[in-house]
Amino acid sequence: MLQFVVSGVAIGAVYGLIGMALAITFYVTRIINFAQGQMMMATVMVTAEVRAAGYPTWAAALLGLGCACVLGVLSYLIAVRPILALNRFSFGWLVSTLGFAVILENAAAYIWGPTSQAFPPMFQGTSFHLMDAVVTGQQLLAIVTAAVLTAGFELVRRGTLFGKIGMATAADPEMATAVGVNTTVVAITAFATSAFYAGVAGLLIGPTTFANPYLGDTFGTFGFIAMMIGGGTEKPMAAMFGGLLLGVCAEGANAMINSQASDWFPFIILVVVLIVSPRGLFSAGNLFRLRARSVASAQA
Amino acid sequence: METERIEAQRATSVLAGAGFRPRLRPVGVALFVAAYVAATALVAQSDLGVQSLVLVAAVFGVLAISLDLVAGMLGLYSLGQGGFFAIGAYFTTIVVNDLSWNVFLVLLIVLLLAGLIGLAVGAMSLRVSGLYFAITTFIFTLVLTVLATDLKITGGLQGLLGPAFPDFPEGLQAPGAPVAWCVMLALLLCVGFVWSIRQSPLYPVLLAIRDAERFAEAAGARTSLIKIGVFGVSAAMAGAAGWLFSFLGVVSPGQFDWAVSLNILVMVLIGGINTTLGPVIGAAFVSMFPALVNINPWLQEMVYGALSILAVTLLPGGVMSLLRRVAALGGDAPEEAELTISAINRAEAPVEAGLFRKFASGSAGAAQAGGSEPEYAVECRGVRFSYGTGLMVLRNVDLVVKRGDIHGLIGPNGSGKSTLANVIAGRLQPLAGSTLIKGMRVDDASPSKRAMLGMRRTFQAAELVRELTPVQNVMVGLFNLKPRIIQRAAFWPLLPSGRRDLAWMEARSREALEMVGAGAWVGRAVGDVPHGVEQLTQLASVCVAGPDIIILDEPATGLSAREVDHLAEILTHLKAQGVTMIIIEHQTRFLFPLCDRVTVLNAGEVILTGTAEEVRAHPVVRQVYLGE
Repeated sequence: MLQFVVSGVAIGAVYGLIGMALAITFYVTRIINFAQGQMMMATVMVTAEVRAAGYPTWAAALLGLGCACVLGVLSYLIAVRPILALNRFSFGWLVSTLGFAVILENAAAYIWGPTSQAFPPMFQGTSFHLMDAVVTGQQLLAIVTAAVLTAGFELVRRGTLFGKIGMATAADPEMATAVGVNTTVVAITAFATSAFYAGVAGLLIGPTTFANPYLGDTFGTFGFIAMMIGGGTEKPMAAMFGGLLLGVCAEGANAMINSQASDWFPFIILVVVLIVSPRGLFSAGNLFRLRARSVASAQA
Repeated sequence: METERIEAQRATSVLAGAGFRPRLRPVGVALFVAAYVAATALVAQSDLGVQSLVLVAAVFGVLAISLDLVAGMLGLYSLGQGGFFAIGAYFTTIVVNDLSWNVFLVLLIVLLLAGLIGLAVGAMSLRVSGLYFAITTFIFTLVLTVLATDLKITGGLQGLLGPAFPDFPEGLQAPGAPVAWCVMLALLLCVGFVWSIRQSPLYPVLLAIRDAERFAEAAGARTSLIKIGVFGVSAAMAGAAGWLFSFLGVVSPGQFDWAVSLNILVMVLIGGINTTLGPVIGAAFVSMFPALVNINPWLQEMVYGALSILAVTLLPGGVMSLLRRVAALGGDAPEEAELTISAINRAEAPVEAGLFRKFASGSAGAAQAGGSEPEYAVECRGVRFSYGTGLMVLRNVDLVVKRGDIHGLIGPNGSGKSTLANVIAGRLQPLAGSTLIKGMRVDDASPSKRAMLGMRRTFQAAELVRELTPVQNVMVGLFNLKPRIIQRAAFWPLLPSGRRDLAWMEARSREALEMVGAGAWVGRAVGDVPHGVEQLTQLASVCVAGPDIIILDEPATGLSAREVDHLAEILTHLKAQGVTMIIIEHQTRFLFPLCDRVTVLNAGEVILTGTAEEVRAHPVVRQVYLGE
């Protein structure tokens, strides 16, 4: 019982980080970056490659994260900005960010081949006992890192001027521009940050999954579910809670139902959550336009 | 003979001038169908490789059309098409293979099944709109793919081998493979279906629901029902595409996952959203792309990703917009230019006084109230309303509007004027109190029901479809005056009654625009006309139905002094025809001379109701509103 909660929280932290990555870009630009999972994959692949070339693990990890950040900014400049410049409310980004994801995934498959490669372990061999459950060092690292990054994001968002500028940009980019905010800089920062979060998620899960070009698909989807369950579209931090819940439920389903249950069980949770609370469990705000009849804008 | 020819010519030129292509080009349509059948015969006899390439493209053509039906015309970006596609394909494969049911009976069941599931998904996810709709349908597809992968009956990741298509029945032999004929015929039917809708008066209504939902609702369209219904039709179409697809080979989960749903969107966007042929062109391009670019599959996918980014960033209107631009190079621009120059001198033509008789109350049969004529057109009794923030926006408002009166509603900003208008029109539900229209209680009636009682309204910021012409926008106002527009839309051009009704609606809409003095602008898209003409179009779309009661929300906002005079003239004419009006307005110089009675609101309360002179003389009004 406790064992699957612990491993659920550990894997959930990874889902949550990807969910937050999706949520951070959504927060500022109101688009979902379908290439987010591929940022994570890029980090994993580059880290594995650099490590295999004989450099120390920390250098490889840093290079991997840097690579993800560059790709994140590129995805904004290539696939998002031109579309929002045309029409801020169009849905073209659905197509262009997916196109970007397709390019990254197939480029990785072209360069490294479709098979998995070794990934350097981070905390080898260490494990702790927590009552009757075993926590590996790797899991503990995931949980601690996720907690630090979540708290850090929330502190920056609430406590600094830059965080408030981000909030202003999220609410109304035109108004933010009018009061002197450079929204491009804000958006670029958001995309770099979210790619960084996705990359960290990749480093945390890499030792378990190994380096595979198709990693981004699976984890991108689970990150998306985490964001939707939690309500990260309104508050990025909620995506982390959604991820933790998702992780525990998935591990629980594996333990209780059968070993394949985590393939489909999260979707059931997602459907139930969306029926009960369409805006996610941990978000009070209302992102989506309610039916006009009930909230028709006050005029005159 | 000669006069006949001239008459015909004039009719065509009027139509062309109004931005309408001549309806029904029978020769063109016949040529298109003949060419299509010839092409089908060619495909049906060609070798298997070419055949499967074309047929798969055609199936995706059907899917792309089904998506464009909701995304292009209603703005609902469904990512559920892959899910409905899967339902059709798996159901057909399983039922035909295991139970050997008749395939055409299965088609009927698939249409029904996918349609019903579509209605359910639509009803659930349309409670909220925008991005949420895309996400809910996306999840629907995700869940179905997971089910198809994990269930035993669907054959897991390997999938199932689809059934064989039956041979031609005796005595009905066509050259080549029967399945090719079936698929191509289905595509033709779908193209014909959406083409008919675009020719019908339902089309402007659908676009109005997409761009200006309040406008469509105020014109009497039951917008939520229409949205759900159209989504159901689109789902049935995607299910039929699945039925077709099952005859083309293996049915496996990878063919229906969410990436496929997004690819369908790519097809629609590349080809041109909200066009009849664009989705088919896009589908052909995307599905044939791998065969055309025969390189390393990973490189090929990368090229595809790059192309889809380029398509949506550089060519947001798709291939069709490119074609249209090319076609327009050789078009007849000069005539248009002349019109513009003459129109700039005076945006609105003089009011056509004689026309107003045609648009008197009930002239179009809009209102069927009870036999007795009630004294009051609108009554509000003790209306209380709050937006949920705790602040009472309307406190116990009583308002009585006599039939045939022009009733002014003034008050400072935030006094609750527009809120009251929204309560009367049915967009907002009051917390307490009741509203009566022509003596009937309408507390539970939706805006569209109230529109059917003969009440119309305009909006502070004109809500119109910017890509349509004023005539098409005004036609939205006639939506519930002709019976069964929705049912007939699927084969509108084929129906004599359809052609007759459309001609009547167009003529009446044009007359309404002439009546308000915007007749010179009928050929332009609303997005290209000046603000004053936009306001006049809005007014025409209200008058066209011959309503009994009109609510005008700040009609003079942003109009020049001359335009305001023009508006006053129109309203005077309307009043002479017995139309009751409630006018919200700040410009008292424009309002007071028109009004029989004026009600002053302040902070959600009625200060007084009286004639213009009484209001002008009232000390409190002078203080709170006129600022003395």
